[in-house]
Amino acid sequence: MNNEELWQSVLAQIQLNISQANFATWFKNTEIGLKKEGKIAVLVPNSFVKEWLENKYNKNILKILHSLDEEIKEVEYMVGKGKSIIPKTIPVIFPETDQLEFQEFKVDKETNLNPRYTFDSFVVGPFNELPHAAAIAVSKKPGVVYNPLFIYGGVGLGKTHLLQAIGNEIVKTFKKKKIRYVSSEKFTSEVVSSIRNQKTEIFKSKYRTIDVLIIDDVQFLAGREKTQEEFFNLFNVLYEKNKQIVISSDRPPKSIQSLAERLRSRFEGGMIADIGVPDFETRMAILKTKAQEKKVEFPEEIYQYIATIIKKNIRELEGALNRLIVYQKLNNQKPDLEIIKTLFKNLLSGPIKIITPKKIIQVVADFYDLKEKDLFLSSRKKEIVRPRQIAMYLLREELKNSFPFIGRKFNGKDHTTAIYSYKKIIKELEKDKKLEEEINLIKEQVFTN
Amino acid sequence: MKIQILQEKLKKGLNIIERISSKSLTLPILNNILISSEKNFLKLTATDLEIGINWWVLAKIEKEGKITIPSRLFSNFINLLPNKKINLEVQNNNLILTCENYKTQINGLPAEEFPLIPKITESENIYFEAPSFCRGLSQLVDIAVLSTARPEISGIYFLFQKDFITVAATDSFRLGETKIPFKNSSLKKEYSLILPQKTIKEIINIFGEKTGEIKMFFSPNQVMFEYPMEETPHPQTQIISRLIEGEYPNYQEIIPKKFTTQLILNRTEFLNQVKTASLFSGKINEVKIKISPTEKKALIFSRSPDLGEYQSSIPGKIKGEPVEISFNHRFLLDGLSNIKSSEVILELNGDSGPGVVKPVGDDSYIYVVMPIKAS
Repeated sequence: MNNEELWQSVLAQIQLNISQANFATWFKNTEIGLKKEGKIAVLVPNSFVKEWLENKYNKNILKILHSLDEEIKEVEYMVGKGKSIIPKTIPVIFPETDQLEFQEFKVDKETNLNPRYTFDSFVVGPFNELPHAAAIAVSKKPGVVYNPLFIYGGVGLGKTHLLQAIGNEIVKTFKKKKIRYVSSEKFTSEVVSSIRNQKTEIFKSKYRTIDVLIIDDVQFLAGREKTQEEFFNLFNVLYEKNKQIVISSDRPPKSIQSLAERLRSRFEGGMIADIGVPDFETRMAILKTKAQEKKVEFPEEIYQYIATIIKKNIRELEGALNRLIVYQKLNNQKPDLEIIKTLFKNLLSGPIKIITPKKIIQVVADFYDLKEKDLFLSSRKKEIVRPRQIAMYLLREELKNSFPFIGRKFNGKDHTTAIYSYKKIIKELEKDKKLEEEINLIKEQVFTN
Repeated sequence: MKIQILQEKLKKGLNIIERISSKSLTLPILNNILISSEKNFLKLTATDLEIGINWWVLAKIEKEGKITIPSRLFSNFINLLPNKKINLEVQNNNLILTCENYKTQINGLPAEEFPLIPKITESENIYFEAPSFCRGLSQLVDIAVLSTARPEISGIYFLFQKDFITVAATDSFRLGETKIPFKNSSLKKEYSLILPQKTIKEIINIFGEKTGEIKMFFSPNQVMFEYPMEETPHPQTQIISRLIEGEYPNYQEIIPKKFTTQLILNRTEFLNQVKTASLFSGKINEVKIKISPTEKKALIFSRSPDLGEYQSSIPGKIKGEPVEISFNHRFLLDGLSNIKSSEVILELNGDSGPGVVKPVGDDSYIYVVMPIKAS
């Protein structure tokens, strides 16, 4: 008979001898913590229970235990980690406002996870089916399937949500696993400070005992060689021990510039899944879910209108919803479609974004981790030629600049060079899916910043 | 049991212990208080299984004994009696009570069924002056809220340090921290623990008006606060409370070390203006403060679609960047009203960073409050 069964049979017999009220009060949340050499330690939730059992029921309990197992000679009562009485929650009536909270309190110290992000609150659509399915699979069998899992996609599409949901789910199902969620910036600064304080060993042992490592926004490791090296070593150690690694980035591993080749190939070794842009139906679904979370309701046509004007960013969808809620609070009435249109007028026409050739060149250079002036060199190095061609392509495609103008912009190149570049990229786009993604990412940055 | 005692004395004791005896469906005896005799003392005991309170008074004991009786009924009854000698006598689980022209019988329950209050035997302890201890606690006690999700922040945090103790409370929107001096301590190292809010409220209620010393005892699972009797060294009141398990979050991270805007304002004037603004702040309790360092004043606004608009201005010493920030007036007032200095410092970190309220010339109290996101 194991401890649990032993205690169950004690409880079964005790309840015959005492009143239901007493039984419920004094035996709830008790258990056998330890059984050793005829001595039993009973864990109780608080000192009141301890005093009571010791003084009132000890004889009874010991008698029953002894009849079940003759070796038992002594019972001891200890206040253990049993569930203590949870105070009745008085619901605080806060009107829904944008009252800000201390962020630090929401985040779990050990894992760095924010419990707010779960799979339940994640809206699945065709655009994120694959990463969602992969994430679920990983959270069910960490370290076994899809290792590493690499998730990438644009800003505000739910990468972090998915990553944190994996972590939270694993925390829930596998209580013993050590999980750590860390952004690559935090990781970098930890590496740096460990070197500065000569505590690299502590740093290493801290990370090497982890069962699930989740690294967010890994593209920021680009160009940080020492950190990459540390990460590479850590990756290998964890990978060999079949520990789960989950990584996110805003672009596929191939497009992260200044990333050591060996790291890149490691990233590509598991499962790569991309989160696309949500379609209209999904945007509607997201709005409705968020509205439900915030306990508000708006007419269908309003959701439709918002879903039509905000297309590419889930975070903005939420922002729009918050605006409606604030409007409703301030004016004590539900906004109608006309009001909504004026509310979101600036979003629609937007402050007209002036996109200049300079801006495009700057973003392209940044994206490929080059200096702007590198693009103007008459170098034929592959790592310069390709970005230059992409920049020329974008100038033509987005700004409708003339080819001679584009040529002149790039250090007085001939207009034929510009034509050639433009056509080359168009041709490559047809067959190279990766290039298409890269260009979409660049465009996104050009338009958002 | 047969006891003689003055009405006034008994009334005093009942006032102290009656509040915590609670209506409990699972264990009806918790509605009762335990009356017992201990040598020359009459002892009253009540508990809700989280807190236990013992109270003693010198009385003429003719025959030892004990009984439990419904607390509310007993206390209401005693309150109405004249301040004369009362005779208490137990007969078959009933309490027979005579006082001048009154004679009553109250039905009780056997004392054996009453929960046993955990005992804390000799242990490490620390002494506080009751007034300063309770004053410090009352600055924070209302900040905490009961939450099942994060039981540890629903309590009040105590850190026992070398020269003083630091006490903190938060509800995740704001945080208060205060330092309380102690008189004498046998603690060998630093301790930290979390006490339920209810315990602290009881301490303030019971010891708030007292002038003597409170002695606090430690044990692994509970603490005890003890107040001595005036006449003899015997304890008069003991409050035994469970602790909240868990680790209190490292709240020091939340207290901003820097600011972008700093204001030094007259406290009463500021308090008054925020209070007035709160009348117009509508359902979401929003009060807006617009600070312009060049004009050396802060403007306070509030607006409600139903009621109207409010605006006022307050001069002050201001440095840093201009900023417009909104607060829940309740949160702001809670911080301000716990400060007694004539001038108050308000430090802000942009329109969505934490704000700090603290007295001028006193670093024992600090209050951090999060703003309402600018809409």
